[in-house]
Amino acid sequence: MGDMFREILNIEQPPTPELTKESLLSKKKNGSEKKMTKRPEGMHREVFALLYKDNKDAPPLLPTDTGFGYKQNKAKLGMKKVRRWEWTRFVNPARSDGAQFCHWQRVSDEPKEYPFAKLNRQLNIPTYTLNEYNTHLRMNTKWNKAQTDYLFELAQRFDTRFIIMADRWDRDKHGVKTVEDLKERYYEVVGILQKLKNPNSDKKIYVFDAEHERKRKEQLKKLFDKTRSQIEEESMLINEMRKIEARTKEREKKTQDLQKLISQADQQNEQAASTTPQARKQDKKKKKNTLPVQQKINKADAVTSMETAAIRFGEGVNKGTGIAMRSQKMKLPANFGQKRTKALEQILAEFKVDPNPPATEEICTAFNDLRSDMILLHEIRTALAASEFELETLKQVAEIKQEIAD
Amino acid sequence: MSNLLKFSDFGPDSGGRVKGVVEVKPIVYGNVSKAFGVKREDGHTHQWTVYVKPYSNEDMQTYVKKIHFKLHESYENPNRIVTKPPYEVSETGWGEFEVVIKIYFHDPTIYKPVTFYHILKLFQPQSPDAATNADGTPIPPIIDTKKRLVSEFYDEIVFHEPSQLMQQMLNTIQPVITAGTWSHDTDFEDKKVKCLEHIQETRKKVKDEIAQLKEKLQQTRDKITEFKELMGTEKKPQ
Repeated sequence: MGDMFREILNIEQPPTPELTKESLLSKKKNGSEKKMTKRPEGMHREVFALLYKDNKDAPPLLPTDTGFGYKQNKAKLGMKKVRRWEWTRFVNPARSDGAQFCHWQRVSDEPKEYPFAKLNRQLNIPTYTLNEYNTHLRMNTKWNKAQTDYLFELAQRFDTRFIIMADRWDRDKHGVKTVEDLKERYYEVVGILQKLKNPNSDKKIYVFDAEHERKRKEQLKKLFDKTRSQIEEESMLINEMRKIEARTKEREKKTQDLQKLISQADQQNEQAASTTPQARKQDKKKKKNTLPVQQKINKADAVTSMETAAIRFGEGVNKGTGIAMRSQKMKLPANFGQKRTKALEQILAEFKVDPNPPATEEICTAFNDLRSDMILLHEIRTALAASEFELETLKQVAEIKQEIAD
Repeated sequence: MSNLLKFSDFGPDSGGRVKGVVEVKPIVYGNVSKAFGVKREDGHTHQWTVYVKPYSNEDMQTYVKKIHFKLHESYENPNRIVTKPPYEVSETGWGEFEVVIKIYFHDPTIYKPVTFYHILKLFQPQSPDAATNADGTPIPPIIDTKKRLVSEFYDEIVFHEPSQLMQQMLNTIQPVITAGTWSHDTDFEDKKVKCLEHIQETRKKVKDEIAQLKEKLQQTRDKITEFKELMGTEKKPQ
C-alpha cells in the first residue's frame, strides 16, 4: 500500500525490481521452502486449518478486533514500475496514399509494421480484353458490355461483397439487377475466363445456381412473412394429419388382428372336430377334395395365430430334471398381463370353474387348454363388441347422411 | 426310518440321475380353522392349523428333510420349521394371509426346496354368519365353534429324473401306523373326477361359444365392409 501512495505522490522510493517470470517463480519457491508447522498428532485437520492460515503466522493470543476476520485481501496489484506509452506516428502499408496517423505505443516495444495491415487482403479479380469479351462473353443476352464492365469494376471496388455491390449498383444507368443476377453473371464470366486461360487445369469451376438461390430466398421470405394465425393453422393441420394416419394404422391393425382371431377360432373348431372320432370319419370323406387347399391356408395361419393365443403355462419350470410341484404347470406366464388375468378370472367364475383344481397331470393339461380357449373367447367377445359398435356408428352416420341428402 | 438309508451306501455315483424316470408323490396341504366365538383380549378370533401331509398313508420323513412354514411377519418368530411329521403349525389369529411353504429334501444334490403358497382361510366365504358379524351382534358360540373350516388342496411333487438315492428313498417309503384309516377332509378322488369332467364340459361350452361368436363376428365384419363400400360409392358421385 505504502508503495502505491509513494508512487502516486511522486515520493522517492527505493527502486523495486520489475516483475518477471523468474522472480515470480523464485518467490513462490521461497514461500514453499518456508518451514511448515507440523500438525500435531490427534488434531483434526479442520482445527489446524483454523490456526494456521495462508500467512503461517502463529495464532493470536488475544481476541483481535480489526474487522478483517475472514475477509479476503483486495486484489494484489503489481508492485513494479509502470511502463511508458507514447503517441507515435505510423504508416499503414495497406494504404496507397501514404497517409500518416498516430497511435499509442509502448516505448519498450520495437517499431514494426502496422499489425492490421495484413487484414487488408487484396482479391485477384480476373480481367478480360475486348477481344475475349466479343468471342466468349457475349452469349448472355441479359447483360451487355457496359453492364459487365460496371459489374467487374464494382467487384474490384468492394472485393466481391455482392450485397454492397447490389446496393451501389447504378440502377438508372444499368437497369435493376438483384444480388443473384450479379452473382450469376460474375461467376459465369469468371468460369469462362478460367477455362480460357487454363484449359487443362483441374481446378473446379464454381457454378452459381442462381435459380436455387432465388427459390431459397423466396421460401425464406414466405416463412418470415407468415402470420401467427397461419402458423397455428399449419401446426393444427399437421396434427390432424398425424391423427388421421395413426387412426388408419390402428384400424388396419385391428382388422388384421380380427382376421387372426377368426382363423384361430376356425383352427380350434377343426381340432375339436378331429378329436371326436365320429366327426373325423365324416370329415375325411368331405375333406378329401378340399384338403390340399385348406391345409395350406391353415398352416400359414397356424404359425401366426398359435403364437398369439395359446398361453405358455408353467413358464420357467425346470422341465429336464429336479423337483417341482405339479401345480407349477398351471402357473400363468410372467408376461401375461394384468387385464387378461382379470378377464380370465372372470370367465372362470362365469363358468363356475374351480381356479385351483387338484393338480393331477390330466387336470393340469385340461385346465390349461381350457384357459387358453377362455382367453380366445374373451378376445373374440371384445372383438365382437367392438365390431358391433363400429357397425352401429356406421349406421348412424349413414342415417345422418341420408337426412342431409334428403 | 430314514436311518436305514445312508448316503455312503450309494458311492460316488449317488448324484447321478436316473434317466427318463419321473416319480410322483401326491400331497395335501391347507389349513383347518375354528372360531373362538368371542374376540380374545389380543384381538385373536380363530384357532388354526396349517399343514402338509401325504395323500396316501406314507411316511414323508423318508424323503423330506424339513418343511418351512413362513407365517405373516406380525407373528413372533414367523419362520416355523418342522422336521418331523405331522408337518403342521398351529396358531391363533384374526386375519387371513399367505403362508409360504417350502419343502426341503434329503437328497444332497438338491439344495433348493420346492415352494408353494397357501392362503390361510378363516372365514367361510359369503356365509350368513359374516353378515351378523358385520352387524355387531354376537354370534352364538355353539354354532360357530363347532364348525370346522377346512381349506385344503391336492398337489403333486414331481421328481424329474431323481438321483439314485432319491429314487431309492421314494421307493422304500413305509406307511405310518395309524389307528383309523388314512383319509382327508376332502374327498379328492371324487373331486378329481368331477373337476376334470367339469373342465371338459366347460371347454366344450367355451368352444361352442367361440364358434358362435366367430360366426357372428364374421357377419358383422362383412356388414361393416358392405356399409363402407356403400358409403364409399355414395361419396364418389357427390
